[in-house]
Amino acid sequence: MTDFTLNGEAVTSDADPATPLLWVIRERFGLTGTKYGCGVGACGACTVHLNGQPVPSCALPLDAAADGEITTIEGLAPDGNHPVQQAWIEVDVPQCGYCQSGQIMATAAMIREVPDPTDADIDAYLSGNLCRCGVYNRIRAAAKRAAEIARS
Amino acid sequence: MTVTPSRRTFLAGAAAALTIPLARPAVSQTLPPQAPELERWPDAFLQIDTDGRVTCVLPTCEMGQGTHTGQAMILAEELGADWQSIQIVMPQQPSDPYRLPFGQMRSVGSYGIRFFHDPMRRSAAQMRMMLTQAAATQLGVPKYDLVARDGMIMHADTNRAIPFADLVPAARLLPVPAEPKLRPEAERTLTGTNVPRLDTPAKTRGEAVYAIDVSLPDMAYAAPRMAPVFSAEVEAMDEASVIDMPGVLAVVPVPRGAVVVADSWWQARQAADALDITFTATEHDALDEATLNARIAEGLDRAGVPMTLQRGDPLGTLDAAETVIEADYQVPMLAHACMEPITCTAQATEGRTELWAGTQGHDWKRMMLERELGIPSDELFINTTYLGGGFGRKTWHHDAAQAILASRALGGRPVKVIWSREDDTRFGMYRQTMQARFRGSVDAEGRITAMTVRVAGPQMGAAIVQENNMDPFSLLGLVDQPYAVPNYAVDHAVVDIPVPLSAWRAIATSFTGYWMESFIDELAEAAGMDPLAFRLLNLPSDSRARPVLERAAEMADWNDPAPDSVHRGISVVGSYGSMVAQVAEVTMAGDRVTVPRVFAAIDCGRAIHPGQVETQIQGSVIDALGPTLRAKITLQDGAAVQSNYTDYPLIRIDEAPEVAVAIVETGAPLGGVGEPGVPPLAGAVCNAVFAATGRRIRSLPLSDHGLA
Ligand code: FES
Ligand code: FES
Repeated sequence: MTDFTLNGEAVTSDADPATPLLWVIRERFGLTGTKYGCGVGACGACTVHLNGQPVPSCALPLDAAADGEITTIEGLAPDGNHPVQQAWIEVDVPQCGYCQSGQIMATAAMIREVPDPTDADIDAYLSGNLCRCGVYNRIRAAAKRAAEIARS
Repeated sequence: MTVTPSRRTFLAGAAAALTIPLARPAVSQTLPPQAPELERWPDAFLQIDTDGRVTCVLPTCEMGQGTHTGQAMILAEELGADWQSIQIVMPQQPSDPYRLPFGQMRSVGSYGIRFFHDPMRRSAAQMRMMLTQAAATQLGVPKYDLVARDGMIMHADTNRAIPFADLVPAARLLPVPAEPKLRPEAERTLTGTNVPRLDTPAKTRGEAVYAIDVSLPDMAYAAPRMAPVFSAEVEAMDEASVIDMPGVLAVVPVPRGAVVVADSWWQARQAADALDITFTATEHDALDEATLNARIAEGLDRAGVPMTLQRGDPLGTLDAAETVIEADYQVPMLAHACMEPITCTAQATEGRTELWAGTQGHDWKRMMLERELGIPSDELFINTTYLGGGFGRKTWHHDAAQAILASRALGGRPVKVIWSREDDTRFGMYRQTMQARFRGSVDAEGRITAMTVRVAGPQMGAAIVQENNMDPFSLLGLVDQPYAVPNYAVDHAVVDIPVPLSAWRAIATSFTGYWMESFIDELAEAAGMDPLAFRLLNLPSDSRARPVLERAAEMADWNDPAPDSVHRGISVVGSYGSMVAQVAEVTMAGDRVTVPRVFAAIDCGRAIHPGQVETQIQGSVIDALGPTLRAKITLQDGAAVQSNYTDYPLIRIDEAPEVAVAIVETGAPLGGVGEPGVPPLAGAVCNAVFAATGRRIRSLPLSDHGLA
């Protein structure tokens, strides 16, 4: 049994503690906003926050989340209206959208640490998040806009 | 076609709605009539409900190309509805009005807007006319005094307006007007604007449902274990090796391997990896990259190849020319590497097989599943989800076949098959590897006098090969290249390779564009001319390539000297009814090529949603840059070497160029947008690399040349 907090709620999972957190979130708790892309920590599609830090949930065994606080895209903001989500809608970022939960989670973590990110900050914080549709021009614009919304 | 809407309904419980059948596409776009049993028309195509919601049944899936938003705009504009009230849904079964010119319902070929634009407008106009007629009767005013706007029929003189919803009960009883009267150009004020995409909010909140997210009651999960060598089959398998592992429900034999079904995907995956299974030996077990390349290269010298295209006297002209430029080009295989891996959910019960899939290929799936599993077409139902990318990969049926076999094995329980990234990367269905030999000559003024192109490599399928060995999947971009070459020949020495292949975004033009535009640069160099000036000299005066070339050059300040350390390359390729020119800027960090900026100009006819055109071209450039710099699939011991994003490296944000996009409207017919941004990029980059290094890059990726 592994206890942790998922989007503010105390939860327990009886899955094998070696199961990657990604699959527990998706299949046991039905939160499918967090995506599987590579399974080896190489694409960022599965990014969630563990105690506020962005982590690839595909590479995080369930027991590493024990007693931790996990936030997924569904729990980022109660109304789905986090500054990053607002900016993403304003800039109309997604194409297929499959990478976007991960991009948004990574960006949300970035702007908490770097309230006014430069291009170099964006490269450093977001280069772990692959976008196969290549919407990086818009991600860059939206990341800056999100920081601006968060600062205001 | 006249249909009385009152007799036709298409959604259960929607009998009171106003529905309009899909107008037949323009004559030039239709196929010869099909056999009666294939004439299975959907009962209706456009429906307005008594609550005013407009639903349109369209066959193109949403895989990132923004097609549903564009389609909603076209419909809303013609109808006079609020575009946000329009919902696009997909039919569960293919039928003729939804089939593309080659006879299949598929989401390919950048057709979504350009092919359905006219039929959508006609149907929407018919619906608007019926609503207007109903309002005219109700208000006792002439039809021509009424306008349809914002989901209402309005009478300006008396300031009265009736919502569509209130008119549906009367309008649905009227005959469908035979002659739809389209809105005049001046009233087309929605298309051409940048409305927010319909799917963006759901995609920023993790709410959009992709195939991998489908959840059904009592659903089980499956993971495959497939032979690494493409044509191998199972030799022996010991089910007992995994059946007692936690959660495992069944081990199901499938073509080329097995799937393990379990209570959760991770359990299925663990067991699939642990499964004791061996595969048959094949004659291709020793195939590697060098052998494959040598086999294809043989085709470059082959005699007796049928000529696909010939005009003038290319060989005689080349023989008589003072200088002949000759160059061999090559491209490797590529994976699609969609962010959402291959996945499908199936429930197979007696007489009904239902799929939940993110598919680009409804008819292809239907045909293949009928052939391989004997499922009659009318017993197959496909629920189409969002696709986490497609790029030509998601027309196939293998994952569906696995899910169906697994569901059958579980007595009809729904089963979701998910391939790991490694399964996907290694399975095959790659963009083909191809080679070509170009020969060409120019005269003293810099005019191209002759060119021959010999292509060597696989054909993509006998079904689409036309007369004279013309395979569009191999030769488009060559047979229709835009330059005025008086003496010109193209042929294709077919070399089969034992690797399963699939259309990859922009198909042939993804490599022919690179070849042709690199070779044009070689000819420009031989003529001692500036690459842009050379292109303009050799393009016919009415060529659609000219305005986009000129615009891209202007955006990049082509005629001003490049800043120190910046090197430029230019390229123009027409594909899928559109023309795209690109200028790539390259800087060198030691031997390493970086591409900080790309300037692109596209002529796609009328731009329905300029913002989506922009993002598609930006994405296409970045997509094409991955295989230009580093990505390729190679073989060793008969199997793919690469397995994940770690060894199939695509572009990340820190390497993504800033892509400036201009839309050039020349009055040309509607063209595609999803693919045409891909073909010019590799040529533009490699031409810039030549400017930077003096090295002509005749095979991709650049990393093979120590440049990335
Ligand atoms: S799925 Fe976790 S990083 Fe790719
Ligand atoms: S939007 Fe498709 S992968 Fe990023």
